[in-house]
Amino acid sequence: MANVRDSNSAAPAAKPGIKPGIASPFRWLRARIGAGRGQSLILSMVSLLFAGLIWHLLSTFVFNPFLIPPPLEVFYAAIPMIKSGEIFADVAISTTRVLVGFLTGSLVGIVAGVLLGRIRVLHDLFDPIIELLRYLSPTAMIPIAVIWFGIGEMSKYFLIFWGTLFIVLINTIAGVGRTPIARQRAAECLGATRLQIFVLVVIPSAVPYIVTGMRIAMASSFMSVIPAEILAADSGIGYLLQKSSMLLQTPRIFVALITICVLGFIVDRIFRFFVDRVLARYMSFVAVT
Amino acid sequence: MLRVTDVRKVFGTAHDTYIALDNVSLDIADGEFLCLLGPSGCGKSTLLNILAGFEPPTSGSVTADGAPVTGAGRDRVMCFQDAGSALFPWLTVEENVRFGLRVRKIPKAGWDSIIDKYLRMVDLDRHRRKFPAQLSGGMRQRLQIARMLAVEPQVLLMDEPFAALDALTRRHMHAVLLEIWQRTGKTIVFVTHDIAEAISLADRIGMMSVGPRSVITKMIDVDMPRPRDLTNPRVAQLFNEIEALLAPDLARAE
Repeated sequence: MANVRDSNSAAPAAKPGIKPGIASPFRWLRARIGAGRGQSLILSMVSLLFAGLIWHLLSTFVFNPFLIPPPLEVFYAAIPMIKSGEIFADVAISTTRVLVGFLTGSLVGIVAGVLLGRIRVLHDLFDPIIELLRYLSPTAMIPIAVIWFGIGEMSKYFLIFWGTLFIVLINTIAGVGRTPIARQRAAECLGATRLQIFVLVVIPSAVPYIVTGMRIAMASSFMSVIPAEILAADSGIGYLLQKSSMLLQTPRIFVALITICVLGFIVDRIFRFFVDRVLARYMSFVAVT
Repeated sequence: MLRVTDVRKVFGTAHDTYIALDNVSLDIADGEFLCLLGPSGCGKSTLLNILAGFEPPTSGSVTADGAPVTGAGRDRVMCFQDAGSALFPWLTVEENVRFGLRVRKIPKAGWDSIIDKYLRMVDLDRHRRKFPAQLSGGMRQRLQIARMLAVEPQVLLMDEPFAALDALTRRHMHAVLLEIWQRTGKTIVFVTHDIAEAISLADRIGMMSVGPRSVITKMIDVDMPRPRDLTNPRVAQLFNEIEALLAPDLARAE
């Protein structure tokens, strides 16, 4: 199914007049991974190179290079951090915190969400609380989390859990509530019991909403682990940022910032790969006749 | 036989009520093809939902073969207008049909031959592994029909099933449905707002008035051989009669 779109958006064949030097990488990539993807891959690389160039020009000629270190200086700062393994240790710590909080938060969010979405009394009972608590971002909860759990791992797990829970919960409730009535009634007259309708029809129908909620929660987890580590940790990428800031090591700050970008991107790609592989059949939203 | 006696349906609260159906009575014989015809908002879908057991009547009674209808029953299955929502999009064509066999605890040994039989009947046996999103509108509606036939109900309740299809596909679906009806002898209650559709399908047409307080205004026997061609003078005359009957209601509905 995914291929259909690619073949439609395929790049037009190389037109006469285009210099062979420009056309050949296109042709090479098209042969290897298909025309549409090859073109967008090249454009992505062009975009990144262009951004790097602008960054270099700005930091060299416009701004104080101490405030915005040029790309090469950041690169040189990264080498010892990579060689010593320091950056990987921080990445591992932060990623573990995100995963533990994200997975537990998603689990509780999904279980509570399907129940609250389905059982009217529970929904009416808990909805006011959810509607109020959802405005307490993980950042707002840092001070109290430190008092409750100290600066150990538990406070970070809790904060990520907190942020994930409400996003996944609210999306799951919405997904369960939006299962088409016709689909539930169709199952009912085919002979499904109430429990079967819930398990075999309502929950699968909610999967696209749950997955969307989890993706948003994943991104927000990477955002909220950083302030948690800045304010209440002695390890992780956030702590690296904090420490480098105190020592006025701007290149190291930039290394940490880029690491966050790359890490978030990679984890999201892994998540999407997993969804495509395992949950693809559940991901079509209600088809329009 | 389905028997509807003095059914009233009132929606809303004590202060803000809407009387959808007002004392509707109707007998539907076994093996009959009955069309309920009326403009939008005449309560025909409400009546169908009551027949299916999805909604209880406010007063009056509905019985199927003498037993009161209190919920969705194994003998009555509904076909919905929007097949996209009614089908299970995460199941393939054959898995959609299998769903009903599974929840009805039909012995596994028989599944394959049942699925095969009904997918062939609606001409979808070459598309078993496809998902509903990969089917055209007409194919989805055929899948919905196969899925409901597979659990072998006595009554098919159809809620404007072909309203969203283009005219050519709709005519094809009429032929498919009539053939299935003639082969299986099911009772069909078919809701539509399309006069031509009602005439080409039904044994009897129940005309319904626009709400509030919808009633069945007239029962028309369509005593003509199928297929019924609209250029046939008798068919055309019936079409005009029905259109004239609906005209005042249409004006009121606007």
